Amino acid sequence: MHRGVFVRYERCLGCRSCQLACAVSHTRAGTLAEALLQGEAGGRRLFVDQVGAVKAPSVCRHCEEAYCVAACPAGAMWKRPDGVVTNAGSLHQCVGCWMCVMACPFGVISRGPGGQAVKCDQECLDGDGLPACVKACPTRALVFTTMEEFEAGRRRAALQGAAATASGGR
Amino acid sequence: MRRFLIIGNGAAGLAAAEAIRGDAGRAGGDDITIVSDEPHPAYSRCLIPGVVAGELGFEALSLRPPGFYGSLGFKTLFGRRVTGIDSARHRVILENGTGLEYDALLLATGARPAPAGVPGSESPGVFSLRTYEDATRIAAAAEEASSAVVVGGGLVGLKAAVALRKRGLKVTVVVKSPWILSKQLDRWGAVLVQEALAALGIGFIFGQNPAEFAQKRGRLMGVRLEDGARLAAGLVIVGKGVVPEVRLAREAGINVAAGVLVDRHLRTSAPGVYAAGDCCEVSDLVTGERSPSALWTLAVEQGRLAGLNMAGRAAPYEGGLTRLNTVEFGGIPVASAGLVTARGNGFQELSRSARGAYRKIILKDGRLVGAVLVGDISRAGVYAALIRRRAVVEGLEPELLSARMGANHFPGALAALAGGPAVPQALEKMES
Repeated sequence: MHRGVFVRYERCLGCRSCQLACAVSHTRAGTLAEALLQGEAGGRRLFVDQVGAVKAPSVCRHCEEAYCVAACPAGAMWKRPDGVVTNAGSLHQCVGCWMCVMACPFGVISRGPGGQAVKCDQECLDGDGLPACVKACPTRALVFTTMEEFEAGRRRAALQGAAATASGGR
Repeated sequence: MRRFLIIGNGAAGLAAAEAIRGDAGRAGGDDITIVSDEPHPAYSRCLIPGVVAGELGFEALSLRPPGFYGSLGFKTLFGRRVTGIDSARHRVILENGTGLEYDALLLATGARPAPAGVPGSESPGVFSLRTYEDATRIAAAAEEASSAVVVGGGLVGLKAAVALRKRGLKVTVVVKSPWILSKQLDRWGAVLVQEALAALGIGFIFGQNPAEFAQKRGRLMGVRLEDGARLAAGLVIVGKGVVPEVRLAREAGINVAAGVLVDRHLRTSAPGVYAAGDCCEVSDLVTGERSPSALWTLAVEQGRLAGLNMAGRAAPYEGGLTRLNTVEFGGIPVASAGLVTARGNGFQELSRSARGAYRKIILKDGRLVGAVLVGDISRAGVYAALIRRRAVVEGLEPELLSARMGANHFPGALAALAGGPAVPQALEKMES
């Protein structure tokens, strides 16, 4: 079961540290200062939107039946054996036709500055196996886990909350 | 062991073959044969303008790795033409007289270029751009020509024009509509794209069709337009759209309108015969109108579903957006989905232009029915998904026009698409 980035919306403050870390991690320079000095744009691959009063990060879900893979007429977008959906390392180069941008209902694939589509590729994992966006999140609103673990965690949190309310605690 | 026969090795045929084979992803089990009049393994039609430009060879177009067909146990009859279908006997006849029997047959015969329908259309030097062979012939002719006329301002015509321009030819595009990309863009969006193409050195003539392709001693001399104007050209590409390839279906007595007619399970009127892709007619999700299906994405989806249905795994097709396109010309990206202009009363058009980017949305009864994005196509997929899902977007117009809008704005409509985690209540409330 592959791991993905999941969002605990209630924790997100909308600081966009994740977006910045994502973009920087996808530069050759690798640090913000160097990237700025060299005028390099990595291109962010997740988006924090304002939804009413809520800050809501949109992240790639690396779908099982990925819309972007089905839409790619170049044979560039693929699902790697490890579950990561990416247009890198496949049979062909991305030609920048942007059909994947149009196919993704989550709006998390973008037209990259180099004429190729950019999206979350999990090429940013650090020594501990954490993606740059997750590592950068100061409130741990983003977690890197499997869907089963994420859902189990939410259920545990809900039960603990209910137990605390029942016992009069806060 | 069931016998599956697929006529056509394009997007739909390939997707169907893979779907029939199923998740196992390896050879074995049912007998699957793919027949195609083209001699090659499957390739990406969308990329053939790159062959015209001299930038891509066949290898770059191939859709699957070498050895693909064998690894999945697909029998291939490439470069072979089917001449008839005997649907009563569940048999297909090849041009050499061979008969092939099937338990389930898929018509994925695609489409062919619409002819210009004027004198001289058969002249050497007059081409359409549909197949890899077309592209290589055009590339060869472009070596000898110094100027070209492209008939049609649609996606194929304009891509061809850019490719020829890259080879250094003088290129004029003749467009009958008042603006280019009239199926994909409104006037304002089209102007931005036209400016980018003009900057590449491409000329345009609007409101005209060709009246004749003039030749002299077997050589193409140029194009005479309806208004009598003459354009010198050693090469003409006709890009007036495509028509579904329905001859086999019609001769077999299968119900055909503009394209082959199919039901929700992509079955034709003949038992055991299915159809998918450009040869079909489908209902548009937005307008409800039937029209030929001529999009790569639709062909893949229909092919996959047809394959599942043929294999007995009932998979209904809910219809698609027959207008869903992306393209980039001269650094200007374009994306459009659904309607591109209001269709009378009850429609609302809202647009916004800023820093070379143009974004328009079309609403009906509070629901998004069309989107045109030029210059900045960020979040394009969210618009397409909203149109497809008939989502209510009332109150979110500013977000839609500014692209500061994602799937999280429409959690009920979109967020569960990938079987992803539950969305928080705070977001669900937003939608109601």
